[in-house]
Amino acid sequence: MIEIVAVLTVAVGFYMAWNIGANDAANSMATSYGSGALTLKQIIIIASVLEFAGAVLYGKKVTHTIAKGIVPIDSLDPHIVAIGALSAILSASIWITVATYYHLPVSTTHSIVGAMVGFGIASVSQNYLSIWDIRWDVLYRIVLSWILSPVAGAVLAFLLFTIIKIAIIDRYNVVKVERVFKYLQILTACYMAFAHGSNDVANATGPMTAALGFLGAQTPTWVLFIGGIGIAIGIATWGWRVIETVGKRITELTPSRGFSAEFATASTVLFASSIGMPISTTHTLVGSVIGVGLAGGLASVDLSIVKRIIASWLLTVPVAAGITMAVYTMMVVFA
Amino acid sequence: MKFVRSVTDVFGYSPFEDLHRHAELCGEAVEKLIEQFRACVGGNFDRVKALEKEIDSMEYEADKIKHEIRGNVTKSLLMPVDRQDLLQFLKVQDSIIDNTEHVAHMLSYRKFSVDDELWELMISLLKKIEETVREYEKLVDHMKNLIATSFSKKEIRDTIEHVPVVEELEHQCDKIQIEIHRKIFSSTHTNIMELILLNEIVVKLGEIANSAARSADAFRSMILGR
Repeated sequence: MIEIVAVLTVAVGFYMAWNIGANDAANSMATSYGSGALTLKQIIIIASVLEFAGAVLYGKKVTHTIAKGIVPIDSLDPHIVAIGALSAILSASIWITVATYYHLPVSTTHSIVGAMVGFGIASVSQNYLSIWDIRWDVLYRIVLSWILSPVAGAVLAFLLFTIIKIAIIDRYNVVKVERVFKYLQILTACYMAFAHGSNDVANATGPMTAALGFLGAQTPTWVLFIGGIGIAIGIATWGWRVIETVGKRITELTPSRGFSAEFATASTVLFASSIGMPISTTHTLVGSVIGVGLAGGLASVDLSIVKRIIASWLLTVPVAAGITMAVYTMMVVFA
Repeated sequence: MKFVRSVTDVFGYSPFEDLHRHAELCGEAVEKLIEQFRACVGGNFDRVKALEKEIDSMEYEADKIKHEIRGNVTKSLLMPVDRQDLLQFLKVQDSIIDNTEHVAHMLSYRKFSVDDELWELMISLLKKIEETVREYEKLVDHMKNLIATSFSKKEIRDTIEHVPVVEELEHQCDKIQIEIHRKIFSSTHTNIMELILLNEIVVKLGEIANSAARSADAFRSMILGR
């Protein structure tokens, strides 16, 4: 029984990884396509390889946070944990798919964190845990990192672009400057893909790890492998379309601007990965773009997106938690 | 493409291309106005009427662009220039083509029979106006580079150098305008109605150059006020 649940969790987790590759990885790579720094084919290869590398080499800490940081699964029965993990990944996937259909700027990270909280509360309701066993302190830190990461992206991008403007754009011919940054942007695109893989893979592999807890306490590396492969396949099968669509619409982000935004985002995300904080790369990128705009680098930035992002936070966490509680309860009752 | 979560929403509506197109329409309309005057001198009244329609539809197109900009430049947009400055600039720039259209209509009210000397002066005024508006367009052309360089000091300097040139040209228009007024009021031409209309036309022509100069000034305020 537990094996079947675990296999299902891995399967749904794979879908989640695919979804991350299809949408979020593509979004973060689109700037390089829009600026003409890389061709679509090059981006698919670079993104797939580096997302995979980031996931496998650097994805462990965030995976650990999602798997064990919020709900203390080690003190629960492995069967309950497996069912809980399956409910969480299933609910997050459903919510992500529905929200994407309705063009809500939701994040996979917020969905999976909400879902894990839902699992925690459901097990409290069944008296497996006390409400104070849920690691609210960790959750508090995660939520704080959601607020801080776009702000950090904005500040970094603002500083970086301001330095580039004063030191380079003001002094040299802007056309030549952009030509140089076109090549430098390849580096930041790689950096971005690596950072994204290292953080977002956990949204898929966290629940997988939890469900496989009966195999041992450590995160098996092959789980990260599956997550990385899922993301890579997502990019290759669907993400390229997103890259094309988004890339054509953000040509405003010229190489020097794209470089600044990507460098700021990747640095923020990689730092978050190193301290095990699951954050949204997309929201951080939005923050970074706003930072470039504040530095006077863009013709127009629509700040109303900030409201929509905050609304998506307030919506996603309770909704993902609610769906998980419902799915979990049904599984326990009927299984 | 339903299943796409995109970051594109962070990029807002950018009014600068539309502003540029609006400025171009102003220049094109003035060019048409010269053609209309030539047709008027040549006595080709049908052509005068046809050009009146053309200028009218250009003004209509410019109005559409104006509304497009006004309708999209919301407070939530973060732009490298102040929103109020931008809207003020647009308003002044729009008066260039408004005045042009006005003259185009007046020219079609009746056939004129004044002497060639006056017409020649009128044409030279128009040419000077065209020169003014063309210089003004050069100023607005800098917008793209201003954004590309993120308003570098050098680009700003290069841009505002055009403003005194526009103002000087406008001053030259004034001089020709005064000369024409003198001619009109000392004319022995017997058709008073015609002289009144011509006088009105000259006043409005002066307004075109004035608008260009005021618009250049508003543009400068906009890019310096950031």
